[in-house]
Amino acid sequence: MSARPLKAAARQAQSKNTSPGRAKASTQAGAQPKATTRASAALQSPAVTLTRRPRVSEMDPALFDGRAMGYVPPDTLTISPTLRLQRASVADIDPITYEVVRHALWHVNEEHGATIQRISGSPVAMYALDLNPSILTEDGEFVYFGPYMQYMSGVTDTQVKWILENRSGNPGIRDGDMFLANDPWVGAAHQQDVMLICPVFWEGELFCWVTNCLHQYDIGGITPSSFCGSAESAFEEGICIPPVKIVENNEIRRDIEELYLRASRKPQAVALDFRAQLAGNITARDRVLALVSRYGPQVVKGVMRRILDHSEQAFLDKLRRLPDGVWRERTYVECCRPGDRRTHQVMLTLRKKGTELIFENDGTADQEGAMNATYSGWRGSIMVALNQLLCWDQYFAIGGALRHVRFDPTPGTFNCANYPASVSTAPVQAMEISLYPTYNVLSKMLFGDPQMREDIMCIGGTSQWPATLFRGIDQWGERYGYLLVDPIGGAIGAFATGDGINTGGQSRTPICKLPNVEHTEQTFPLLFLYRKEVVDSGGAGRWRGGMSAESCFIPHGTDTITHDTLSSGNATPTAPGIMGGYPGSVNVYQFRTGTDVHEQFAQQRIPAAISDVAGREVTLQLRQENFAQTKSDVYSVIWSAAAGFGDPFERDPERVLADVLDNRAVSIEAARSIYGVVISEGRLDAKATARVRRVARAKRCQSPESVQKLTGKQISQVTDTLAVRRSGGKAHYCCVKCATDLGPVRENYKLACVREDRDITHANPNIGDWRRYIDDEPVFRQFFCPGCGSLIENEIARAGDPVLHDIELHLR
Amino acid sequence: MGPFLVGVDIGGTFTDCVVLDADGSITATKSSSTPHNFAQGMLAAMGVAAERLHLSFDEFCKQISVLTHGTTAGTNALIQRKGAKVGLLMTRGHEDAIHIMRGSRGVTSRDMAKVVHFPESGKPVPIVPKRLIRGVSERVDCFGDVVVELNEAEATQAIDELLAEGVEAIGICFLWSFKRPEHEARVAALARERAPHLFVSCSHEIAPKWGEYERTTATALNAYIGPIMARYLANLDRELKASGYRNPLQITQCGGGSVSVAKAMESPLLTLDSGPVSGVTGSVYLGRLMDTPNIITTDMGGTSFDVGIIERHQPTYSFISNVAQYEYFLPKVDIQAIGAGGGSLARVDPVARTLRVGPDSAGADPGPVCYGKGAQTPTVTDADVVLGYINPENFLGGRIVLDRAAAVASVQRVADQLGLSLEETASGIAKIAEFRMADIIRKMTVEKGFDPRDFVLHAFGGAGPAHASIFGAELGVKRVIIPQKEIASTWCAFGAASADILHVHEQVDIQASPFDAKRLNKTLTELQKRANRELDHDKIDRSRRQFQFSLDMRHRGQINEVEVMLPEGRLTAALFEPLRQRFYERYEQLYGRGSSYRDARIEIVTLRLRATAPTPRPKLARAARMSARILAAAKRPSRPVYWDSLKASVATDIYDGAQLKPGNTLAGPVIVETTDTTVVVHPGRRLRVDEFGNFEITFGEAA
Repeated sequence: MSARPLKAAARQAQSKNTSPGRAKASTQAGAQPKATTRASAALQSPAVTLTRRPRVSEMDPALFDGRAMGYVPPDTLTISPTLRLQRASVADIDPITYEVVRHALWHVNEEHGATIQRISGSPVAMYALDLNPSILTEDGEFVYFGPYMQYMSGVTDTQVKWILENRSGNPGIRDGDMFLANDPWVGAAHQQDVMLICPVFWEGELFCWVTNCLHQYDIGGITPSSFCGSAESAFEEGICIPPVKIVENNEIRRDIEELYLRASRKPQAVALDFRAQLAGNITARDRVLALVSRYGPQVVKGVMRRILDHSEQAFLDKLRRLPDGVWRERTYVECCRPGDRRTHQVMLTLRKKGTELIFENDGTADQEGAMNATYSGWRGSIMVALNQLLCWDQYFAIGGALRHVRFDPTPGTFNCANYPASVSTAPVQAMEISLYPTYNVLSKMLFGDPQMREDIMCIGGTSQWPATLFRGIDQWGERYGYLLVDPIGGAIGAFATGDGINTGGQSRTPICKLPNVEHTEQTFPLLFLYRKEVVDSGGAGRWRGGMSAESCFIPHGTDTITHDTLSSGNATPTAPGIMGGYPGSVNVYQFRTGTDVHEQFAQQRIPAAISDVAGREVTLQLRQENFAQTKSDVYSVIWSAAAGFGDPFERDPERVLADVLDNRAVSIEAARSIYGVVISEGRLDAKATARVRRVARAKRCQSPESVQKLTGKQISQVTDTLAVRRSGGKAHYCCVKCATDLGPVRENYKLACVREDRDITHANPNIGDWRRYIDDEPVFRQFFCPGCGSLIENEIARAGDPVLHDIELHLR
Repeated sequence: MGPFLVGVDIGGTFTDCVVLDADGSITATKSSSTPHNFAQGMLAAMGVAAERLHLSFDEFCKQISVLTHGTTAGTNALIQRKGAKVGLLMTRGHEDAIHIMRGSRGVTSRDMAKVVHFPESGKPVPIVPKRLIRGVSERVDCFGDVVVELNEAEATQAIDELLAEGVEAIGICFLWSFKRPEHEARVAALARERAPHLFVSCSHEIAPKWGEYERTTATALNAYIGPIMARYLANLDRELKASGYRNPLQITQCGGGSVSVAKAMESPLLTLDSGPVSGVTGSVYLGRLMDTPNIITTDMGGTSFDVGIIERHQPTYSFISNVAQYEYFLPKVDIQAIGAGGGSLARVDPVARTLRVGPDSAGADPGPVCYGKGAQTPTVTDADVVLGYINPENFLGGRIVLDRAAAVASVQRVADQLGLSLEETASGIAKIAEFRMADIIRKMTVEKGFDPRDFVLHAFGGAGPAHASIFGAELGVKRVIIPQKEIASTWCAFGAASADILHVHEQVDIQASPFDAKRLNKTLTELQKRANRELDHDKIDRSRRQFQFSLDMRHRGQINEVEVMLPEGRLTAALFEPLRQRFYERYEQLYGRGSSYRDARIEIVTLRLRATAPTPRPKLARAARMSARILAAAKRPSRPVYWDSLKASVATDIYDGAQLKPGNTLAGPVIVETTDTTVVVHPGRRLRVDEFGNFEITFGEAA
């Protein structure tokens, strides 16, 4: 796009914003409002010219009203004076009362979630735990959110604030009201995540909010299940509801409820889930009010404020221990619409300035096709990792931390898409790819502190979701449609202190549970040949990433199943490792038609791998629609695995041996080629191992004359492989093992390393031929210390992309 | 005197023995547990009882009609990872089920607040490594039809490989084996042929339920503790027989009754976690006697607080259990635990400067600060000492003299960090623990459709009676009962003595309405046959057998199941409508009015039979007369106790519980001491000794 002066862009933007025709705005990024004079401090000068599209902070705040662009709550909310807010609180609460009320509030939220699960009882609520309850203060700050689907709470506070700003005057917010909402531009991951938002009043004043969000099976759109993989805009997707008052004076408004249910292919299931959400809110509201009547509103509010203040304090204490700097990660999404063979870059930048964190997505590809997410989806994704790595000790009270976190994406990019982009598949693609790289940038930032180092975690499994959407007539003669939930089995990334967790779930749904094979086979016409963990899937490293798994099935009790695929990350790994760690496996679809599986059955043999059946191999594209699987066609899906931490050559050979023999996590070939560990006849060959490792490193060394060793004192350890030492009064990076100079800390240490670009298949043994899916060649770049040949870092990139400047320290 | 009913409960620290004689008199004794050989501690506790009864050990043993034993040997083996080397045989392709753990990390039993801190919430160390799991080609489908015949050659080879690895037990779990057990049974036979003494466990026998992960876990756990339990029980049985005990030894099981020692050796899984269940069994018995059908049972020990619910004289059940992060199928009296016991640690949150109590515990060693074993962090027990609830000179009947000064110093350190007084801090520690207990009870009642106001609360365990009147009042229960004043701390042993013989048989047969009565009745008949075989084995007379049938049902397409009773025992078409109504009624009781979904079809998942044979009942002696007069001997020297409601420390009357008589009534503030526990009666509450010798605490308005 062309650069343009901010002022002009702002004028244009404002005129657009007031024009009633803005709903017609194209989904194409180029046609959007651009920038404004209300810029961040750094850009105050009116003469600044941008060579990139403006960020949120550089644009007129009025644009972010949740209509054309995602709602970004202003610092001060505009609320109708007719709504009275209960703001008074007691500051001085004795620690005993504080703890008793705090614990009770936590329980309120837990009971809220349990109520929804009990009443809904749907597999979505019970297995995928695709729900989340929250409690927020009167002005929309988080007190607690629940341990279920972590994305959902990240979009809750924006909903509440939008309601305060846009509904307090007309139709008004009153005691006994609840609002139904799923508009992703106001705050929702995608249209299927329907929120029910309940203001809690005490003596005529708005005391706080209790809310919940629950994924619905189907709320309309061109595809059953409302994951519309070929949609080009929101108009082809499920019903999109800005907050609407569905409960008024404690009564369900039938007109609104019918309007809502009318869009769904499964109105009865949606109706039952709505009852579950209602009961959840009522339970939570009653329990909060019981606390208020017992301890008084000012004490309970005081406890809420203190929970926030404490979590804020804890967050600030941590930030003060960390150096300032910039951390970046780059990943790619594949296939934004059926037939698309391009890759779409995703950039994430984390800036730390004192006690402020700023997240940006400059450089992310434009919104397009059906791969997008909105501002709140992107923000909610980042909050998941932020909570887990930095606020885990504050028990889901992230509101205090958020006071010091700025989300500053670029509108028009595909994970901050403007209306009416297609966003129904956001949680399986755009949001996953917004979330997972956050683990890497935060981990690199936290590594600087020896204590917080123990909290870091690499990217986990299912960093892009390989969807298996299928439908037909089941073995009981009934019509069905389903999204195979097996990939929630995920995997957890490696830690700085140990291996990741094999099939440990998706980190964004920390308490999920996938259905048993017997559950799935009872309900759907399938027969699983196997469900097994995948050898070598976990990213290699000093600490290995968790293994993912593979599910493989044939139709059973039906003649044919109709499938859609919906995936990304099948050619290019989306779980890059850190500090020398390797990426986890890619997603893999495999499909063999007309196989001999039934002949093998007749011979009392069950194939243990899809490669054990003879048949025609069919490459499934990543958004392939309406293909049939008939009786002898074998379908399998591997979901992507977790990333590794640190140089695999640094892994204890005994652990590699155990991974080969006991854990079946690493193949004997990978033990040798990636870990440099030689195993023969079930035993570790220590001598050969040492030799393999030594020789491999020696090959990467440069001549001793061309390398400079730093002798100054080590100031800090930046990564598992990289340290900082003084050199002539300046801070320089160096190899942690041999102190070879790797350049000044403001510059990219990778440029001082020995670089080796390798075929992407070297990054993980499960990566196949990328040409099946994409046109851009992905490469695996490795950066070695020129002094000792040790691995410093890896990166995944398209062949033409520049070397990523992943760490930029601003040492004082 | 005899014949005696004897219950022995082995805990981590103490082994308790309760003897009930024909007149209803109770003798309760304690002895230290002997982890290297638990039988020793058990015989020692029985020996003390014999002494109290002025009998030689042999004479005592000869007069025991039923000896029921609760053991933690299996649980301990599991927690300490000292179980057998187990090999698993699975349907080929599904060998990883127990490792995948349904993609969860078994977090349901852990602190939810920390669930997103992944570095400390990994999966458990596997009880069976992948190396010892083999797949066998065979396949049954959801209809129970064979898709792939059992490949016996593969099975044989797999067994031989596992034997070569030196396995001590083999578990077998095939997909859908609960629909068609033949393949499992055949492989078990092959294994027994090749290794006659091997412990073999089949999933269709131990847990014929729907869901291969939880079924495999049950099978693997059973195999894991099987050899150890078999050795332990055989040894115990031998020693008892040598001592002259001639009747069958009964073992308490987690379903709330007991099984024969032979059955326990075959299915040791039944004994996992059975200890706390005996307390509920005791309360069921007492509830019948006292005509209180609805009871909340609470057992507060050193590390945990266990809660059970009894509704209409029936304990509530759970059908999935959890041990060491593994979830497994087993019908079990539902007991929920939180880490809130006497040993729960009180700490100041470094950032928030607020007080946190539990869930971690000081454990048995070093224990609370006042034990004087070098601990520095105060516990709930230390707070109790500081407040004056516990007499340092008379803890556990004076067996341990507590170091009050050390307790004071440790609480004072916390007080200084909080800027509160010593007493405020101590009462704060107690209060936070008490409110956490109220929260877990609320969770188990209100969330399940029960109103705590319809319940009485039983408080037992060493630390319970000191705190029960606070959490009881907080919940609004009718009254608090500290059962059998002298045996509150040995209540589980009492429960063991009062346990009936119980066999639970389950069979899954998923069917949507309209139901096939013929098919269901065939299964019900089969369940009854299985039960009769067990009871024949136990030599239970036909006339003593009782059968209770039930069905787990749900809305088709939904997950939540509820247990619906089927007192008719068999189904007829005429019963379908009443059954549907029972389902809705039960569903709405559990999940709330309007939660059922009448347009949907309903589905039967599991058929169940509880077969019981009542054992000789203990007869608790009812007091001949009630007396308001309190013996002078009951009075002990008063001491200062801090009362939160008075915000002051006041000289408080202390009584010796053993000397209080039925009919005696005391008004709070007052403290009653028994050998093993301390009953704290706050101001405004009232304590009465009822006709059975229980302490009853009532609150303001009721008093």
